Amino acid sequence: MARYILKRLLILIVTLWIVVTATFFLMQVLPGTPYNNPKLSASAIAQLNSSYGLDKPVLVQYGDYLLNLLHGDFGTSFQYQNQSVSTLIGQRLPVSAQLGLQALVVGVLVGLWFGALSARHQNQKLDGFLGVLSTLGISTPSFILAIMLLFLFGYDLGWLPVSGWGDSFSQTILPTLALAVGPAAITTRFVRSEMIDVLHSDYIQLARAKGIGEDQVIRKHAYRNSMIPILTLMGPMTANLLTGSTLVENIFSIPGIGQQFVSSIPTKDYPVIMGTTIVYALMLMVMILITDICTALVDPRVRLN
Amino acid sequence: MAAPILQVKELAVSFQTYAGVVSAIRGVSFDLMAGETLAIVGESGSGKSVTTKTLLGLNAPNATVADSSQILFGDQDLTQLKAGAWDQVRGAKIAMVFQDPMTSLDPTMTIGQQIAEPMVKHLGKSAKAAQESALALMEGVGIPDAAEHLHDYPHQWSGGMRQRAVIAIALAAEPDILIADEPTTALDVTIQAQILNVLKEEQKKRGMAMIFITHDLGVVADVADRVAVMYAGKIVEKGLVNEIFYNPKHPYTWGLLASMPTTSTALGTLQAIPGTPPDLLHPPKGDAFANRNAYALAIDHELEPPFFNISNTHAAASWLLDSRAPAVTPPLAIQQRQAFWQEHFVQEG
Repeated sequence: MARYILKRLLILIVTLWIVVTATFFLMQVLPGTPYNNPKLSASAIAQLNSSYGLDKPVLVQYGDYLLNLLHGDFGTSFQYQNQSVSTLIGQRLPVSAQLGLQALVVGVLVGLWFGALSARHQNQKLDGFLGVLSTLGISTPSFILAIMLLFLFGYDLGWLPVSGWGDSFSQTILPTLALAVGPAAITTRFVRSEMIDVLHSDYIQLARAKGIGEDQVIRKHAYRNSMIPILTLMGPMTANLLTGSTLVENIFSIPGIGQQFVSSIPTKDYPVIMGTTIVYALMLMVMILITDICTALVDPRVRLN
Repeated sequence: MAAPILQVKELAVSFQTYAGVVSAIRGVSFDLMAGETLAIVGESGSGKSVTTKTLLGLNAPNATVADSSQILFGDQDLTQLKAGAWDQVRGAKIAMVFQDPMTSLDPTMTIGQQIAEPMVKHLGKSAKAAQESALALMEGVGIPDAAEHLHDYPHQWSGGMRQRAVIAIALAAEPDILIADEPTTALDVTIQAQILNVLKEEQKKRGMAMIFITHDLGVVADVADRVAVMYAGKIVEKGLVNEIFYNPKHPYTWGLLASMPTTSTALGTLQAIPGTPPDLLHPPKGDAFANRNAYALAIDHELEPPFFNISNTHAAASWLLDSRAPAVTPPLAIQQRQAFWQEHFVQEG
């Protein structure tokens, strides 16, 4: 097990290097420069270029970046003067991660519950209702939902704050809900179909023949077995949620990383683009690794080696 | 033999499907005596498995048991049980051994736990005590080095060993009736005999009654005390095992026995019953077997035959047994069997 994880971590580092390299050179191909201000004189630009090392050949810049990265230095943002990218990410990632984690917990728990409920009442009214609900959930973009929630609970009923972050937990409720509905809907559908497969399996029939009651059959036999394929879904979903949502963060004025990622691209804030890409890639790979380890823990047939 | 432990009366089960109502079981009646083995024999689709699933209330949700049906067990009618009450019967009083050991065990739970589960539920044992009893059971059904394998998962075991585990699960809560639904069909021939021996030994030791579902007449001869032959959702002949094997009266039983190869069967002469079973979406008028029956009478196409008693223990539903029916000569293989019957059983009696 330890050996396997070590091997996976080595692969992860190599993958990360490929991501860094690809992103670095793709970025160079992007049209435009980091200097959008038309008032900047040619000499000022030249001075800035030399201070950021942008006047060096691309390969040298690449080498410098890799060396700095090895020392944990992500560089300094062009847009936010004198702000190091690590500080920027360090401030904003936890905000996005907290929001994402809350949304993940809510979404997955609701999804597991609704999915199991749907499967147990297959082709009955409740199943149909939840089917419509989850289709709506999947097809409604989170920003539409965010605005609707905002209007209803924030403005109309006035129950919850409409924006901001860090002052009270109640501020997190609406954005959490807006982000949770999508994952909840996807999980519901996935759990439903997995659960229906499992409920028709021979070992569930045998478990029923034991007379331990339908609740125990579901809890002890059906959940665990339908969980195995669902874990595969969980990895990318988690990485996605934890790394923030541009639109929802924007709507609720949340200082998360999602917004940062997108705004760094049109402004050609190279170090921020690189930094956020690395964070996202790392998060995704770590989540997939964790998923694989969890799968091995849940399913005794899977051996890690 | 003792009093019946289970009485099935006029059991009728139908399934609501998109195509219409399928009458899978069309009036099945039989008694199961304490301690005996009743084999239910028939082709695929004859209703054997539906019958046993009904005894455990495990039919699919689209199944309907007719109101006139009764399954008397102890002082209750199982057809009247509600969902919760079933759990007092399943596993505890009536347990089942399933057909395919490769898919019948939960892949994510240790075998020890799976055997312990019914004991915790029905015998009120603690988890620890149940594990100990599970170990004893595993040894009882012939799992070698059981102690080392208590915490194994199903995928680590062969089919034969898994079927022993499935049997151990069925026996765990000490049921009065064991239903074995084609327990050897999915196994290698060499393993089949071992599994049959385990079942027979456990039955003897515990004095359980057993309902044995199979299409393999060789297995029937090995395990059964009595046999019920099913066809198209009905029992067509029932009797003691020797009566069915050596003095069969129903042309369908003749066909089944004649199609059983023996060591003296010449090469290339395997017998089969021509045709296919009827579509139970539209059950035929008269005797369901009539259109495959070389001995069918005109009345078979019009009116279903009642049961005719051949002895106290033997009855068959065929118009050939009516006093007005013409005498027919059964196939050669059956004549030989009847000659054996005359020689060995009738004279003694």
